[in-house]
Amino acid sequence: MSEAQWFVAQLAKVSLLGLLVAMAMRGRLGLCWSLTLYVVATLVGNSLATFWPQRFFNYNFWVLKQGVYDSLKIAVAIELAWRAFSAFPGAWRIARVVIGVLLVASTLAVVWFTPRRWTYAQVWEWQPAVVTAGVWLLTAVALMVVLYQIPIGDWQRAIVLGFAPYMLASVTLMNLLERRGWQVKQQVALLDSIAFVGLILFWTHAAWRQEEPAREGELVPVRSVA
Amino acid sequence: MVELVLSTVGCAALCYTLGRYNRSLALQRWEFVLNAPEQRALDALRRRVELDSALAHQALDAAARARDEKRAPDAITVLKVALSVLEEAGADRLTRLRAMGVYSRMVQAIRPLPPPSAVPFRGTRLKLSARIAGLVHGLMVGTQERFRLWLTMMRIGFGIVLHGGRRAADAATRQPEHPKAWVEFADELSDFEALDASHLAAFEALAASLAAVDRGGRQQLWERIAGNTR
Repeated sequence: MSEAQWFVAQLAKVSLLGLLVAMAMRGRLGLCWSLTLYVVATLVGNSLATFWPQRFFNYNFWVLKQGVYDSLKIAVAIELAWRAFSAFPGAWRIARVVIGVLLVASTLAVVWFTPRRWTYAQVWEWQPAVVTAGVWLLTAVALMVVLYQIPIGDWQRAIVLGFAPYMLASVTLMNLLERRGWQVKQQVALLDSIAFVGLILFWTHAAWRQEEPAREGELVPVRSVA
Repeated sequence: MVELVLSTVGCAALCYTLGRYNRSLALQRWEFVLNAPEQRALDALRRRVELDSALAHQALDAAARARDEKRAPDAITVLKVALSVLEEAGADRLTRLRAMGVYSRMVQAIRPLPPPSAVPFRGTRLKLSARIAGLVHGLMVGTQERFRLWLTMMRIGFGIVLHGGRRAADAATRQPEHPKAWVEFADELSDFEALDASHLAAFEALAASLAAVDRGGRQQLWERIAGNTR
């Protein structure tokens, strides 16, 4: 681990702790349990790799923790969809079908087009496919929320709006790693960490911000729905 | 590379849609649906439909009188007024039909509507659409799906009528003395009124279905919807 990487890892740790505190103080821990788990998992992964680098800063541990993070990203998308649509039976039925199709299609694509052994040496061959599936799950949720005019909170919106660009940055960096080879590994890892810190800071700001109260008593005619 | 393209497209679509999303407006709309008195909304809509129909008829009659009196420029001007009444009313109906499609997804069941029929329509394309919708209606099982099929058919129908109205008005502008275009415009107006009656019936069915959810249940639903966002 280079000095810069170590510094950004410490910054990420502090940011993650700040995010957890903000979420706890604003009562957002239970609004998306998968995200809370994701934040805790990344904090644990970060702490293990920085406090005991001899034991945990290695390729096998990286592949293991990445698997956990990826699963939790998918879980975040599914939980957000469930929380948004469960009050609307018709929309939830469609959302289940769309999410199911996306999950099956992405699983088949990952199994079909990527190598059987998921090792660090071929990280660019499988990791971008998994992250892309996560991006599209979030996109499907966002599109359906807007299509059906489902009310979601500022916090849920911030989760999605933060996650997708970060995932895009990850895929872009993996692409760069594939093109340039292992000699840019350090720089790619550093840029990925910086993007992650940016995401955590964005979420912390969103978690800390007070939600705008819904204005009540104002009637909006049905015809105003565009 | 494929993943990069797919991620970029997905991310752009997500940021664009969620960036334009207005939570307060979405909440207000649902609150309106759950709390507005159905009868008042229905009466307001009925008055609006009658007014639009009366305005369009009055303009068409005035245009026909002007044509009979050989005042072609005046006739065309008033015919265009009738067309603009139809276009404005059509935009209003299309927006409401879209909204009804959204709101129909929140109720467990919708009061059934009769299958679409070609009988009340005069236009060939509209008759054909209604016949196809009638066939598809028979293949569907759920009342919600059938209701949304009705909405789709009406949306297509309003599109056909407005297109036909514009075409007839253009033809009348080119040859004001030719009666065919005027008859066609009158037919489109009649079809518009038939579609309007269906649109009112669909609105009534949706309002009745919403009313079927008792006050306590609606309050619970509203709390759940609002609670989702906190």
